[in-house]
Amino acid sequence: MKKLIFTVAGMPTMAFAGLVSMDDSQLQNINAQAGVTLETAAHILIGDVSYTEDGNALQFQNIERGSQADITQNTLLKQVIDVSADGSMTIVSTQEPASLSIGAIRVNDSAASFGQFRLNYTADSTITVGAASDINNYVEGSFQTSISDAELIWTTNGYSVSFDDIGYDANIAMLGIGLANDGVREGLNITMDQLSYSFSTGGVKLGGVSLGTLAGSLALSGDAQIYAGGRSGSEGVSLDAHISILNDPANYVRFTDDGNSLYMGDFNGELTLDNFTFDVMPDHLLLGFDEFSGSFNANNILIGDSTRPLGAVQLDFLFADANGHSNRFALYPGIRQPLPASFATPVIASRAADFYSGLNSTSDGLSAAVEWSLANAEAAYIDDSRMVVVSGIESYGTGDLTLDIRGFDHDANAATADKTAIAVGMNGFAGSYSIDGLRVGNKNAPLQGGAELLLSMEVFQAMDFNLDGYTLITAGGTSGGGIQIDGDYYFTDTNIGLSVDENGRGVWATGVDYDIHLRGIQVDVSNSGISINRSEKWSTMDVDNMRWGDRESGRSLGRIVLERFEKGSSLTINPGGAGEVCVGASASDAAACSSAGGRWEDRGNEGITVALKAAFEPEGPTSDGTIAANRLTWENNRDVDVNGNPISGSGTQIIFDGFSTNDGLGPTDTNDYGFRANLKIDVYETKVAKKFSGADDNGIVGNQGDELIYDDDTRTTYTYVASPTAAQELLRPLGFAVQGNVSFKDFQINEVQLNHPTGGSQTVFSGIVMQNMDITTNLTATPIR
Amino acid sequence: MKAINRSLLLLLASPVTGFALEPMSNDDLDTVTGQGGVYLSGDLTINENGGPLNSDGPAAWQSNCTAASTDSKCGARIAVNTGSSSTGWFVLDNIRGRFSFEGLTLKTRTINSGFVGDGAQFNSEVLEVGLPNTLDYENVSLTVANSNSPRPTDVGFQQTDIFTLNINGQANLQGNLLVYPTGTP
Repeated sequence: MKKLIFTVAGMPTMAFAGLVSMDDSQLQNINAQAGVTLETAAHILIGDVSYTEDGNALQFQNIERGSQADITQNTLLKQVIDVSADGSMTIVSTQEPASLSIGAIRVNDSAASFGQFRLNYTADSTITVGAASDINNYVEGSFQTSISDAELIWTTNGYSVSFDDIGYDANIAMLGIGLANDGVREGLNITMDQLSYSFSTGGVKLGGVSLGTLAGSLALSGDAQIYAGGRSGSEGVSLDAHISILNDPANYVRFTDDGNSLYMGDFNGELTLDNFTFDVMPDHLLLGFDEFSGSFNANNILIGDSTRPLGAVQLDFLFADANGHSNRFALYPGIRQPLPASFATPVIASRAADFYSGLNSTSDGLSAAVEWSLANAEAAYIDDSRMVVVSGIESYGTGDLTLDIRGFDHDANAATADKTAIAVGMNGFAGSYSIDGLRVGNKNAPLQGGAELLLSMEVFQAMDFNLDGYTLITAGGTSGGGIQIDGDYYFTDTNIGLSVDENGRGVWATGVDYDIHLRGIQVDVSNSGISINRSEKWSTMDVDNMRWGDRESGRSLGRIVLERFEKGSSLTINPGGAGEVCVGASASDAAACSSAGGRWEDRGNEGITVALKAAFEPEGPTSDGTIAANRLTWENNRDVDVNGNPISGSGTQIIFDGFSTNDGLGPTDTNDYGFRANLKIDVYETKVAKKFSGADDNGIVGNQGDELIYDDDTRTTYTYVASPTAAQELLRPLGFAVQGNVSFKDFQINEVQLNHPTGGSQTVFSGIVMQNMDITTNLTATPIR
Repeated sequence: MKAINRSLLLLLASPVTGFALEPMSNDDLDTVTGQGGVYLSGDLTINENGGPLNSDGPAAWQSNCTAASTDSKCGARIAVNTGSSSTGWFVLDNIRGRFSFEGLTLKTRTINSGFVGDGAQFNSEVLEVGLPNTLDYENVSLTVANSNSPRPTDVGFQQTDIFTLNINGQANLQGNLLVYPTGTP
């Protein structure tokens, strides 16, 4: 039996406002008024509230509620209760500025807590309860609440993250509570029709410094069924729920940094949760669900520039048991540190020990053992009404996560003040993801290859990974708000699919060890888009085998090692693509382009522009004191060990050593320009010409040079046309149209060497210097059926 | 059926040991397992309006470069030192021009038959680069030179231009370039 136990450490101190008797003359001025008014001034202290299930207790400790100015003093709550002629009862509540504090949340008196929580708020609410019009409901009513000037603070180990100046309005036109029966169990059914909900925050702050502000408005309806019994033992709670995000153009969510916003508006969708369970276990809380599915459509996405929409996004997903994995989340109070022996290498163990130094078994925070299973997802991007769907996305895996707020010596200088940081530790993550391919035109179009196109955005088609990662997030980008990230990430024994078919065969980078070190990565929203400035980054990707075919047994090209060292690199993502383009010639209008032998394309107002600057540094020390460089090594003809596996470092290597960029005078010059790549990406109809006469892979006959034209906009069947009409040109295959520019002032490779452990090294080139390069491309990339 | 008409088959394999693949007949191509891939068309232009050093570089590089400009500073430059000393550089200078093509394809596919019997023995994946039928050159030019140091801004820099190439026209490219590993990895 579940129990709620209250242990009162201090008696609530409650005082009613003093009532003074009225004289007759005062009474003459009072008209008849119905109902009751209650004014309660109270300061409440509760030592412990426990929710006990199967003998295990979730404990909320040291709860205190009082005045916002001084939580030890009374706060006033006024309630007016009225009964209307139709028999419904209305309770109007007004809460003066109040504060609610929870000193600790523990499981079975755990040494560590989830931290401290404090909510400061002022609230008004109106609840109307009446007879049920639906025979399945016990009671029906409406609910309005408004919270203003609120602040939510989460504190661990003396450091806090806060959501300031929260404003919140919720209005439920019809709230019903009745009987739920799923054929096996009986429980409570809660229905909500026409829930409108809006919120805003004055700032998400770390140590008093703002990351930015959040605001949003949603129109929802939904229902939920709550049953007794969880996933473990005989007690617990389970929940089924369905929520509709109503198709309301006023729906929006907005994040604002220094007056510039990320905005998602005019969205709708459906979410269905099946058998979500909650259990209290001996040392943790266990959450899980059988299925979580949904569809989500966002029709208006803006990043920075409010005049240029990015396009629309549609997402369909199903989290469910698949590939031997489920969706379970075990939440532990405190920080569960991994054992040193659990790491793949001593280097990672050392980094983890450094990350968790200063924390012990009583330190507050949140730890989670996570298992996820995304059975399928389809992600669609729509650019000026042209759709590309990344289809058949699957992912599953397990891992341990820690989360706490702490002080961070961001500049490795004890003399300066520490920053407050959100610390995220990822230990022993082992997972996998894959993408089947693309669909173009609509969601039901045939599955095609072409997911290789995502490589330009560093999205791999498939990956089996082992990952340990340590991230510190602090407030403050390059200006004002924004966030800064410092992190170290270690992929070990990882397989990366670069070009893979639906059977998992293709080109694979296998046995990959990849460590990435980021320092001072600043993320801001500007008036033109999102900017990511990378103060310093160094990494080593060591590919044991670059295989063709099967990831385990395919032929190997050998070992490839890529080392990188950058300072002052950046990435910006802006809305809008290429617009009007002359492909194959230089011209500023359609007529001039055609006469010059080019093809004029108007790719519309939407799309994405990605601008990358990579400033490659000469070999030198990192901020951690290690030595880093830019170097590419290809090794083959390696010896093998007793298991037949190649031994790294035993073969012949060709080394492109010490490549770097500078501003034109050599490696001693400044390095502000770097290596730049600007990509304007659109989805557009592309000309696909038949490469040879005769039947193609699908048996469709055409002549060399004929264009592939779909029969209709379902884009399932096609023919080859020698000279398509204007209407047929609209039925050309859709693909990615990329207008790119790559440029650098000076790119130097110090030397190219051949090296062998017994044969020694020989220099192939003593230096390569490339200067003043500016390459512009207009490319269309279409998936092949 | 995978029917691929090719008049030229290029193989790029490294190291150099491995099977020699012969062109496949249409019947042989019936047994080729197809996989997706990408079809690429477009153009590539080098230094049409000069490079970044011309507008924002050392004085020796500054120049007002347009598409019609013939200033040798406006092109890209590659200097390679093939010796063991720092003197004596082979240079490709003033590189400019436009290449355009239609129908370059990239895909992976399995070859397990054909090639006069070699395909069945090969029985592996290849990365297939399908060459575009035509490759257009427009004002493609470069100067072959040698110099005593890599950068025109180096003290005492001297360069001797040997000859300049200028290419306009069209090249016909047909067939596939097959890339696959072989030998000891």
